[in-house]
Amino acid sequence: MSADPTKFKVARTIRLKSIGLCIARLPQTERLFVGGSDFKVYEINLTAENPEPIEFQGEGHQSYVTGAAMVGQQLVTSGYDGRLIWWDVEQRVPCRNVIAHERWIRKVVASPDGRRIATVADDMLCKVWNADTGDLLLTLVDHKPMTPHHFPSMLYAVAFSTDGLFLATGDRVGHVVIWEVASGKKLSEVEAPVMYTWDPKQRRHSIGGIRSVAFSRDGRRVAAGGIGTIGNIDHLDGPSRVEIFDLQVGQRVQEISDTTYKGLVEQIAFPVSESWGIFGGGDNGGFISFYDTETGKPLHQSKMPMHVHAFVLNDAEDTLYAAGHNQLAVAEFKAEANEEQKLDPAAATTGN
Amino acid sequence: MALFDARLRAPIDPGVSRRGFLGSSVMASTAAFAANMRVLDALQTPTLAAELKRQHKSVILLWLAGGASQLETWDPKPGRLTGGPFRAISTDIPSVQISELLPKMAQRMKTTAIIRSLNTRNGDHGGGTVLMETGRAKEAAVDYPDLGALIARELGRADSQVPDYVSLYSETEGRHKGGPGFLGARYAPMFLTESMIPPNIRRLDSISETDHQDRAAFQKLLARRFIDKHSNPSVASHGMAYERVRGLMSSESLFDINQEPQSARDFYGPTQFQEQCLVARRLVEAGVPFVKVARAWWDSHGQNFETHRELCADLDQGMSALLDDLGQRGLLENTLVLTFGEFGRTPQINASLGRDHFANAWSASLSGCGIKGGAVYGKTDADGQTVVEGEVKAGDLFATIFSAVGIDPTKEYHVGARPIPIVDFGCQPIKDILA
Repeated sequence: MSADPTKFKVARTIRLKSIGLCIARLPQTERLFVGGSDFKVYEINLTAENPEPIEFQGEGHQSYVTGAAMVGQQLVTSGYDGRLIWWDVEQRVPCRNVIAHERWIRKVVASPDGRRIATVADDMLCKVWNADTGDLLLTLVDHKPMTPHHFPSMLYAVAFSTDGLFLATGDRVGHVVIWEVASGKKLSEVEAPVMYTWDPKQRRHSIGGIRSVAFSRDGRRVAAGGIGTIGNIDHLDGPSRVEIFDLQVGQRVQEISDTTYKGLVEQIAFPVSESWGIFGGGDNGGFISFYDTETGKPLHQSKMPMHVHAFVLNDAEDTLYAAGHNQLAVAEFKAEANEEQKLDPAAATTGN
Repeated sequence: MALFDARLRAPIDPGVSRRGFLGSSVMASTAAFAANMRVLDALQTPTLAAELKRQHKSVILLWLAGGASQLETWDPKPGRLTGGPFRAISTDIPSVQISELLPKMAQRMKTTAIIRSLNTRNGDHGGGTVLMETGRAKEAAVDYPDLGALIARELGRADSQVPDYVSLYSETEGRHKGGPGFLGARYAPMFLTESMIPPNIRRLDSISETDHQDRAAFQKLLARRFIDKHSNPSVASHGMAYERVRGLMSSESLFDINQEPQSARDFYGPTQFQEQCLVARRLVEAGVPFVKVARAWWDSHGQNFETHRELCADLDQGMSALLDDLGQRGLLENTLVLTFGEFGRTPQINASLGRDHFANAWSASLSGCGIKGGAVYGKTDADGQTVVEGEVKAGDLFATIFSAVGIDPTKEYHVGARPIPIVDFGCQPIKDILA
């Protein structure tokens, strides 16, 4: 084991010019790519002497950049302008620009083999694309365009299973759908309605929604993250919330509602080599929480210097890079080296 | 009748409005009218032609309670860090763009003017609400009437059997009744909060319709005999009060949108706000001079963009349907439709992706009666932080509203011996947006 959640600490922060809404990392490197509220994409190379954000050039997004994923050596970003853009990360210029959705794209993710990408948008469609050619492969239709209260709904979250065979999508009213990637067939659905707070009396609008989904390592479970019931929906003043569903029986098996750190769970990750999950998000502040997903108990929780909109892990899964409100944060949670590793430092980096 | 009060809070007699002066019930009140300081008011009575111009004009205020974001409605700043993610879209006026969240209103700017330069300086819900309801800051010595009461007094008909001022506020957050202030209870709003149908106006089941009508006829007979022997304004006012109650009891159907064909209801939409817009049209069509439809709650400290996606969709559908319907019925030229709340929202986006209270540079819209459609008045800087052109105060907005419906904005009331201008001192109508 190379990671220890109890050792979690923010090692450094880097100022961003705008709100960092998404982040990707080139494998085997510390080259990070961040998209944000200034419509731009930046590279931050942590191995550089002075790791300042370097702006990508060329015709980029026309609105918030809300998704980032690596496909091989290329970066793909999505935005509220409905576009998918492939970038040459060496030249830092766009190499393909696709009008992908009619409304805001909330997220883009890459399949584990890098051959496909999936997008979700407020047109309530999930689309699967050929990562190499940019061709549309599938359009997945199930999420309702309107909420039960006659307002436009939103489709926030998407994730591939670790084997790349399945997709999960989650929307504003708490509807989660599991899809078979090869056929585009809907396999199952589960509901997390507590993620959606409708205020019928005081303010007469809604807040919340499923903001993150993730499959467990074995693909048997799916976790959905968001926020619990909010009393005053003017603010994100509700418990951060994750619900974990067993897909074999179609039932919820864990309900993690946390008032220690309130707000939205914007991202969930299940490290390959560990038995716990990492949740990140926030309200006006931010948090990273480690939970034992079998017991639903917190292992470690930490306040972050900003609301966390997205994070990625390093290859060893003992360092986390978070993009958020005007900052990028690097946090480490490395296990202390045992005697054998102290004698042979190389052994400490082979945990993956 | 004594008009003086040590705290200058005594209501003035409502029976002396200009409309009342010209109306059928004026004779009875003329003596009292001339016997007090309000004669100054009478001396400013405009010509009969101007009076007639005002006839049957109405105002509908779509009150955006909690404070809607000007950046997500009438004053977008696309491409700026403060601008948020929404685009600006073209409208049916080539030089004017508004937020993409109002696509239907974008096609109706020919009937709408925008003020982008409100600087009201009060970012507190309570203080901002009073300011934007009355057109001036709260003052301990004077209980100022709100816009609805002022319009009711100036445009209401003394012989009207429908309410002069109806206020719909269904949500509980930020609910504020407003009121007639020194104008007196005659101009208080019919305040509907729990239902769109006024409570307690139905005839009791224990009284038959025949009995009800017979009782009314008997009351009229007795009142007429009494007036013949004791004619004075108080008695006339008493009789009018009965007439208004009878009018209200018979106006229940006005509030009932089930009286509308399904196609009309579909045209407005299914949400509560959209249904209330339909009620507003029914009311002004029946002669109600002021209707306020409050849509709460825009106070988006967290998740501003999601909140505005919902609430702007509601507003865009309800408001555009209202303007179309009024236009098709020939009512828009005599009906002024307004949108504003207590303030706008900060250009700065906070860590919850929200916007906070902001009163230094925000927007309002005015559509229909007396308005130069397509006009945009005032300008904010590139980030929307400050007004750089044509600063507008609350009183200026009120003066513009009064001018648009033919009310003299230089008019004065008198509370005791103190002259009270209908708009705050030094405020002027914005002529650039008046037709």
